Amino acid sequence: MQHLEEVKKILSDVLSLGERKNSLTEDSSLLGSIPELDSMAVVNLITTMEEHFDITVDDDEITASTFETVGTLTHFVEQKLAE
Amino acid sequence: MNSFLHDAPATPFFLKAELGERFCLYYPPSPGGECRGVLIYVHPFGEEMNKSRRMVAMQARAFAAVGVGVLQIDLFGCGDSSGEFGNASWNIWKRDLAAAWSWLEDRVAAPIGLWGLRLGALLALDLARSSENAIDRIILWQPVISGESFLTRFLRLRLANEILFTDAGTEKNTGTNGMRSSLRAGNPLEVAGYELSPEMAAAIDSLQAAELFVTQCPVHWFEIVAEPGRSMSAVGAKVVTAWKQKAVDLHLHLVPCLPFWATQEISECPELLLATTNVFAEQTR
Repeated sequence: MQHLEEVKKILSDVLSLGERKNSLTEDSSLLGSIPELDSMAVVNLITTMEEHFDITVDDDEITASTFETVGTLTHFVEQKLAE
Repeated sequence: MNSFLHDAPATPFFLKAELGERFCLYYPPSPGGECRGVLIYVHPFGEEMNKSRRMVAMQARAFAAVGVGVLQIDLFGCGDSSGEFGNASWNIWKRDLAAAWSWLEDRVAAPIGLWGLRLGALLALDLARSSENAIDRIILWQPVISGESFLTRFLRLRLANEILFTDAGTEKNTGTNGMRSSLRAGNPLEVAGYELSPEMAAAIDSLQAAELFVTQCPVHWFEIVAEPGRSMSAVGAKVVTAWKQKAVDLHLHLVPCLPFWATQEISECPELLLATTNVFAEQTR
């Protein structure tokens, strides 16, 4: 999970998590656990990750399981980077 | 409450226009000083309009303080104006701006310019290209580069909603391609509380900033970057090159701050306010 820190930073920036960023780990759950994660935030996250990592996300790749935990999201990014 | 809210009173009123009235807010140039001009503000699309209200109010007051009046108009189907969002069209919005122009022309003997944010920036440019009026200048805040990408992001809100409110086990979603086909077949689509008409979707899809070059007046482009020293995005830089080839009198300003039209919490960008107000300060030197 070499991109974990970058994903945490993006999460923190997009969701305005502030201090809560420091308590995020690979296992921290996202959907259903972070109230700020509404539909606009999900779209902003995808857009920011596309720009930051220079990746293109196809709609059918985005599912609820992608946003389950910090780890699943990081895994998704790393899969895209490996393509 | 911050002191800026008390600086200059703005006058709210309803402007009679096609299919009803438009809510407008006029910030007159501060009394006592010289009136350097007036601007019509063109708001962005959907939720970006709400997120940016604070910054726009702050900028309008900053303009008024240096002698530049601002007329804000809620376009058809938006904000407090008549009509449903789902019945709005790109051309009604252009005619709304023309109505705002006439209102100003009848009352203010000063050069009139346009100031647009995000999709509103493209609407301002499109209006300028088809208008015979003498436009003083155009101020663009983070113009949308490609209508197609913009629409995809907007449609993704619906996708995100499906993700948020469907069981984690569901691996199928309605992709934006599917949504586009449905729109093309003539079906309106509800996205994040906004009813999107097939006509509006088609109009946005076809917009390209590169093609909307305006040569009859100076164009000030303010682009937000993540941190000082960063250059603008590659797609933005392509538009700049294309416009320069068309001899656009383009002034590009890169400003580091948060994307206030999209941030989770309402955010401010004092650097942008300062840089934008300076467009008028510079001309007196």
